[in-house]
Amino acid sequence: MRLLMWWSGRALSSAATLLGVSVLIFAAVRLMPGGFAETVLGPFATPEQKAELATRYGLDQPVFMQYGHWLAAVAGGDFGISMISRQPVGAELLARLPVTAELSLLAVAGSVLAGVPLGVLTAVRARPGGGGAAGRLLSGLGVSVPEFVLGSLVVFVFSRYALGLEIGAWVPFTEDPARNLATMVLPAAVLSVFAVSVTARTTRDAVMGVLVEPYVTAAVGRGESPWFIVRHHILRNAAAPVVTLLGTIVAYLLGGALIVEHVFNLPGVGSYIVQAVGRRDYAVVQAGVLLAAGVFILMNVVIDLLVGVLDPRLGVTAGRRS
Amino acid sequence: MRPIRLACGVAAALLATACAATGTTTQPSTGPQAEAAPGYLAVADDALPPGGTLNAQVHIDSGAATGYDPQLADVATTWQLLSLSYETLVTVGPDFGIEPLLAEKWETPSPTEYVFHLREDVSFSNGRKMTADDVVGSFERLLASESVWRGQLGPVRSVTKDGDHTVKVTLKEPYTPFLAALANVPAAVLPMKEINDRSVDPATTLLGTGPYVVEDHRQDVSWTFKRNEKYWAKGKPAADTLNITIAPEEAARIAALQNGSAALATLGNVDSAGMLAGARDVQVVTQATTDLYYLMLNTKAPNSKFADPKVRQAITIALDQQQIADIALGGKGKPSAVTPAGLPGACDPAALPSASKNADEAKKLLAEAGAENLTFTLSIYSTQPAPAVAQVIQQNLQQAGITVKIEQMDEASWSGKVYGKAPADFDAALSWFAGYADPGMVTKWWNPEEAGFNVGFMTPDKELNALIDAAGKEPAGAAREKALAAVCARADTDAQMIPLVTRPATVAYRSDALSPSLYSTEGYGNVLRLVADARVKKTR
Repeated sequence: MRLLMWWSGRALSSAATLLGVSVLIFAAVRLMPGGFAETVLGPFATPEQKAELATRYGLDQPVFMQYGHWLAAVAGGDFGISMISRQPVGAELLARLPVTAELSLLAVAGSVLAGVPLGVLTAVRARPGGGGAAGRLLSGLGVSVPEFVLGSLVVFVFSRYALGLEIGAWVPFTEDPARNLATMVLPAAVLSVFAVSVTARTTRDAVMGVLVEPYVTAAVGRGESPWFIVRHHILRNAAAPVVTLLGTIVAYLLGGALIVEHVFNLPGVGSYIVQAVGRRDYAVVQAGVLLAAGVFILMNVVIDLLVGVLDPRLGVTAGRRS
Repeated sequence: MRPIRLACGVAAALLATACAATGTTTQPSTGPQAEAAPGYLAVADDALPPGGTLNAQVHIDSGAATGYDPQLADVATTWQLLSLSYETLVTVGPDFGIEPLLAEKWETPSPTEYVFHLREDVSFSNGRKMTADDVVGSFERLLASESVWRGQLGPVRSVTKDGDHTVKVTLKEPYTPFLAALANVPAAVLPMKEINDRSVDPATTLLGTGPYVVEDHRQDVSWTFKRNEKYWAKGKPAADTLNITIAPEEAARIAALQNGSAALATLGNVDSAGMLAGARDVQVVTQATTDLYYLMLNTKAPNSKFADPKVRQAITIALDQQQIADIALGGKGKPSAVTPAGLPGACDPAALPSASKNADEAKKLLAEAGAENLTFTLSIYSTQPAPAVAQVIQQNLQQAGITVKIEQMDEASWSGKVYGKAPADFDAALSWFAGYADPGMVTKWWNPEEAGFNVGFMTPDKELNALIDAAGKEPAGAAREKALAAVCARADTDAQMIPLVTRPATVAYRSDALSPSLYSTEGYGNVLRLVADARVKKTR
């Protein structure tokens, strides 16, 4: 029953959040400078052509009516029609989602596989000369360098020295897995640099917090090996903040994907939204942002559940058990 | 400390490599582009076997908001893509010569009559033979449409057929650019039988007589074209498949060229040629186009700073077009009058009234207009090389005591500001036109009564409009050159839209993967004009 109430609460708060996002994004795209008609149709368009375009997409109606129609359509699974391609936005998002999902998964995998060991290593070797300063420097750099700078640098360097990796030549995984990975490694690496740094820092702090716990001291006293202690006593107890962070990172990666997909010319959701913003393709921007918000909310629910599994004291119904 | 040193070393090495990559971009090439043959930058090697897949990358997709209808296409990027499936009666050859295409020949019994004899072996890609009815119907549809090209076709009185393979076009009055206007995609011959019986909607389906048929198109992602097996020109197209990837990021296109995943790419930044210098098997060529940068001075804004012609003339005098061409366009552009430089019969920009004056005279004009210490905002979009052009303008005008603030924005914001309302809400703005294939064509855009998009910032100049019309009627020759010179001089004095420099097109291809044909000059922004001739050597 408590779990049911928790789910109901989360569903309601998620719906409210999505509704808020929908209002914000709907208003934001209409506040952007530059008219859709001049952008979509070009300078040669006649006033009649502009009016016809506005009528076709319902953009000649009052804004609140436009919002109502759009919201009703979205609730029914219809994300509208792109003014540029004249194709359904939902179908195009679905076609592009695998690219962004693969990119994000690779980046998350990179963040976990590199960030967690790095964080543990810098925590257990937190002594002068133990490499902690280098770790902090690297993670500081990773947090500080924006994706468009790092991405451009990587594109320049790997244009000259490809090392078997490819830029600007994406192929679907189902068509050629090896070539697909060769085109995804670099963008995923660029996208994960920030996440690796943050994961490493968070892991380090969490591990250092656990290291001073009495049960760790007792394990040392029992003569257990350092890596046994790390595996059995530290990692699980330090995992909760790292897992929570990963939820935030996924949301961050969705934002970063906008830039990285554009820089590396990957046909994902991110580049779709960037192009749509540039061309004032309202339906695409609205649907893309709403989709990103939905993924973010879903990830937070998953993370809440996962944290409960890792540490029952922090579970979704833990507060009510005591 | 060793790890810190290592980290610093890696960072320094990365930066050094990047700097080395960009460090090759410094020397602009001012010499003429070497030609492979007269009028050609490259000529496809016919000895190579046909077939294969050609992978190309371009920076932008067609403007598909109006669909695929060629008659409504109004930007060069769309013409380029639609030209793979659609063809016109005549086409543009090397150095802007007009050549037969779907019409195997034509006659001009009088200055107002054109008789086209159609090829008899032409079919649409669905297999139906093209007839004179398709040509007549296409003309009538275009003339009844809201197409911007309707105005470029000139004063067409009637289009009639004489049998299945002859079409006669009668003009109300002589119009010299007529054939050049016929050579562009909006004047393509459409499958009128299918359009009329509604079995084909040209907005959603490409059905033409051209060398390729569309197999797949994902907006802003890619096009896949397959050879049109019913194409009338024997042995063409050479490549079986043409994949065109839309890659907005120039650096990604350069990378694709270098790693061989693209055999041909268009480049927008004049420095890109330098970046590819020394790249193995990559050839970079610069096509001289008639595309033309111009500066708009808004005379219609309330309290316009440019209402007084003397202020506008001072700005024209202070601009150094050669500097713009050399600095912002790496020496690849050419100073131009309203008739784009390079076109036969185009005006000499050095002969314009403003060309013989200097900065002191510009200051004097400003003083006479009471506009000393003139300050204005120049609105530009962020796509290169527009910002570089704007910076040179800013420095030029500073010499005459004019302060220019550059307002850089994304293209949508820029379009909204410049074309969104009348009167327009800007001081000055920078843009470019496709310059077309006849010097009497783009000059029409200096008449806001003909070019509706200018009406928000440009006041009609009756004298200029009359001169533009008169030049259109003059047959090619000395009298026409004189008429065009009068247009150029008047536009220079009117100075509401100031022509600056031509905008070059840079194309790069892999010589180990492709043997393309490319004209040295282009009027309709169509880098893929001769792609049916290209021979594929290998495909990655």
